[in-house]
Amino acid sequence: MSMPLDDDQIEIIQEFATESRDMIEQLEPAIIELGQNSDSETMNAIFRLFHSMKGSAGFLEFDHMTRVAHAAENLLDLIRNDEIDLVPDHVTLLCAACDFAKEALDMVESDYNDDAMVAPADDISERLHQAIEVAQKAKEAGGEEPAEEADQPAVTPAEQPDSSLDFPEMEITDEMRLSFVQEGNELLQNAEQGLLAWGENPEDKDAIGDIFRQIHSFKGNCGFFGFSQIEKLSHQMENILDRVKSGSKLAVDNPADQLLAALDVLQQALNNISDGKDDTVENLDQHLNELQTLIAPLLGDFLVEEGVKEESVSKAVETQKKPVGEILVDQGAASKDQVDSALKKQQETIKKAKAKAKPAARTKTPAKRQDIRVELGKLDSLINLIGELVIAENMLIHNPDLKGLELENFNKAGQHMSKLVRELQEMAMTIRMIPVSGLFRRMIRLVHDISVKAGKKVDLELIGEETEIDKTVIETITDPLVHLLRNSLDHGLEPPDERIAAGKDETGTVKLSARHEEGEVWVTIEDDGRGLNKEKILEKAISKGLIEGDGSDMSDRQINNLIFAPGFSTADKVTDISGRGVGMDVVKKNLEKIKGKIDVSSTPGQGSKITLRIPLTLAIIDGMIVRVGTSTCIVPTLSMLEAFRPVMDQITITPDGDELAKVRENFLPIVRLHDILGKKPDSHDLADGILIVLEYQEIRFCLFIDEIVGQQQTVIKGLSNFIGNVPGVSGCTILGDGEVCLILDVGALTDSAEKKSL
Amino acid sequence: MAEDTTLMGIEEDTQKDKYLTFHLAGEDYGFEIKYVIEIIGIQNITDVPDMPSFIRGVINLRGKVIPIMDVRARFGIENRDYDDRTCIIVVNIDGTEVGLVVDEVSEVANIPEANVEPAPKTSHNNDDNYIQGMGKINNGVKILLDVHKLLFSGEMQELAATLEEQ
Repeated sequence: MSMPLDDDQIEIIQEFATESRDMIEQLEPAIIELGQNSDSETMNAIFRLFHSMKGSAGFLEFDHMTRVAHAAENLLDLIRNDEIDLVPDHVTLLCAACDFAKEALDMVESDYNDDAMVAPADDISERLHQAIEVAQKAKEAGGEEPAEEADQPAVTPAEQPDSSLDFPEMEITDEMRLSFVQEGNELLQNAEQGLLAWGENPEDKDAIGDIFRQIHSFKGNCGFFGFSQIEKLSHQMENILDRVKSGSKLAVDNPADQLLAALDVLQQALNNISDGKDDTVENLDQHLNELQTLIAPLLGDFLVEEGVKEESVSKAVETQKKPVGEILVDQGAASKDQVDSALKKQQETIKKAKAKAKPAARTKTPAKRQDIRVELGKLDSLINLIGELVIAENMLIHNPDLKGLELENFNKAGQHMSKLVRELQEMAMTIRMIPVSGLFRRMIRLVHDISVKAGKKVDLELIGEETEIDKTVIETITDPLVHLLRNSLDHGLEPPDERIAAGKDETGTVKLSARHEEGEVWVTIEDDGRGLNKEKILEKAISKGLIEGDGSDMSDRQINNLIFAPGFSTADKVTDISGRGVGMDVVKKNLEKIKGKIDVSSTPGQGSKITLRIPLTLAIIDGMIVRVGTSTCIVPTLSMLEAFRPVMDQITITPDGDELAKVRENFLPIVRLHDILGKKPDSHDLADGILIVLEYQEIRFCLFIDEIVGQQQTVIKGLSNFIGNVPGVSGCTILGDGEVCLILDVGALTDSAEKKSL
Repeated sequence: MAEDTTLMGIEEDTQKDKYLTFHLAGEDYGFEIKYVIEIIGIQNITDVPDMPSFIRGVINLRGKVIPIMDVRARFGIENRDYDDRTCIIVVNIDGTEVGLVVDEVSEVANIPEANVEPAPKTSHNNDDNYIQGMGKINNGVKILLDVHKLLFSGEMQELAATLEEQ
């Protein structure tokens, strides 16, 4: 690829890189699963990964990638066909191949070639080849078992030599596949339209003929390309249509629904094929049976069963003037009983078929989900614009000029607009939301690697993978999750022998879960290891001077929170996994960035649980507008617990002059907002104002203000870079009257409250 | 950004030697016009705590939040109540927009380079480092300010430094 590339080529390469990366990300966990349970499904998925990577890389002339992918493919193919046994080394090798591919993709993206990857490519493909040879020898030595393909379930494509996967052996090019898919799509679409029209107008015989032809050509194409599964299905459909065409009776009056359902299955399979997969149809047999039941049994068949001579039946059928049964009785070929019992059987079977055919609900498969890759910058500016829109709408609806006017129509229009703006805002937020599954699946690899390194046995359970979180949040919690998992594995879980000694299962469990709760997303990491060692934490904290005294007055929660202090580590030795005491500090910092909280709970000997609580959106918060003197501020509603007007009995003033308010059984320090803002309040007397109880990471305090003005959804804006960070203020927003209003940083206020209480 | 520079290049000629002049405590001052975005009347300014005294706070300029600097306070001149002549000159330096409160905006004056004297060397303070030069126009003198230094030197530099430390 030494020639200069034009934009199109670069685009293709970039597309290739992103797609491959996605695939690798998806399949890395699968590879690790392979080590644990090698079902043919995962095996095929992984095989496809390397196969399509090989194909694309070959097309783009990234020879080294092609080579590695090819070697990996060979290995997998042999394992798949049971020619060699899978050993853990293979999993490691395949992981290494994935790593290589990732590296090569980085290279490709920056330089548009993979020439620099020669050495690693040689190394890895060599190792793969060796692995194949070693495994083959081992297998031969182990008494040459022939590959027992018959044992495999009939549906797996592994034993179908004509499956599209093995296209190197078949002379079908990508181009041909493409045109097959295109033509197939067209045929299926025509058939679908025909079926829908026919369903409404069952008398139309021409329509049936047309549908029949479409399905027939589709079947033919499938046969040619060797997609035997969909061929079978379309053949069955053809049978039914043939029946309908010739006017025979079916189990249901109109089989259009069942046929449409079958069409959907075909469409699905076709989509798979266009994605470069094979034509595997899930539950093929079931689909076939469903269709089979549609074909009503002929009376004649039952009569023959009853011992009536076949010729007489055919004769009778030919006469066809009276019901068949009667004719037979008349002719003396069958007794009345025989006919009756046959009739009864016929009815029953039809009934059964009807009952069976009904539930063939039509699961509509959309032709194919369409995704567009959008630059994140564009999305961000869209969301900013919507933020502006929310403000502009507020300014319009609550415009001071409108005060006191009777504007019924205006208000109606205003409400309508507010609703639309709200919907737009929600929609814009969901655009940025992506499921956590990608993030979680990446952890599978991490857990695998660490457990191997640390010599521990771990089961990773993933729960709530479909939970959606803002993309930036996902990026921010990636590092914390890595650190937390490392900690759980390295410090939390005990080595197998220790676990057995403690009466636990040798294999430890780590649960990683995500769910929506209390307007936040909770990501939880739970292990069943030894739990946090409070004595050790305290000892360390005292020796590092993090706390005063012996810590006996500290709650469990406070002690647990000490692990987030910078440089804190109770590990006796620093391993290459963890122990430097940096990790938890990173966790805390990153979570603060996204206004998240951390909860730690732990039971000695039973494990620990760490919950990351993250607000759903970063850009918009619910806020309470409070006033002190002439200025107004916004307090995030999420951190507010309660608000009350204090009575002097509740207030205690310490000898140092610090004020404490007694809220139920707790004494909370009071922070005066006017001191922080440097403002003159209406009154300095606590009894004249209002105290709001705020909570931040389990620390509570009271904020003294003059009054609460109202509540508003606010779009967070940063203060100008020129001013930079302002202590006690996290940002600002624009109120309905166009005024700028500061948003208080509850975290920073907590610090000033803490200073007071110490 | 590429667009910006070409635009600047084209406008350079038309903006050359042009200064926006304003009145402050009995003296006439001027900025190079290329920094000026717009001039607005005084509006309600929201206080921001823990700022140097000359940072009055922030305002909402059509959805953008911009900080406001009082030039009187910046020069250490005695405060004066804002009136209907008080203006905010919004300037943009390298993408940072800041509003500057002045007593009164006068006019856009054309002061050719030949008429600009270098800033007088005074020994007693460092404040003169905001001064880019002295512009002679008819019989008057306009003190031409270096907007960059006005915004970023002195206390603002310290502020930025402390922020970085944090």
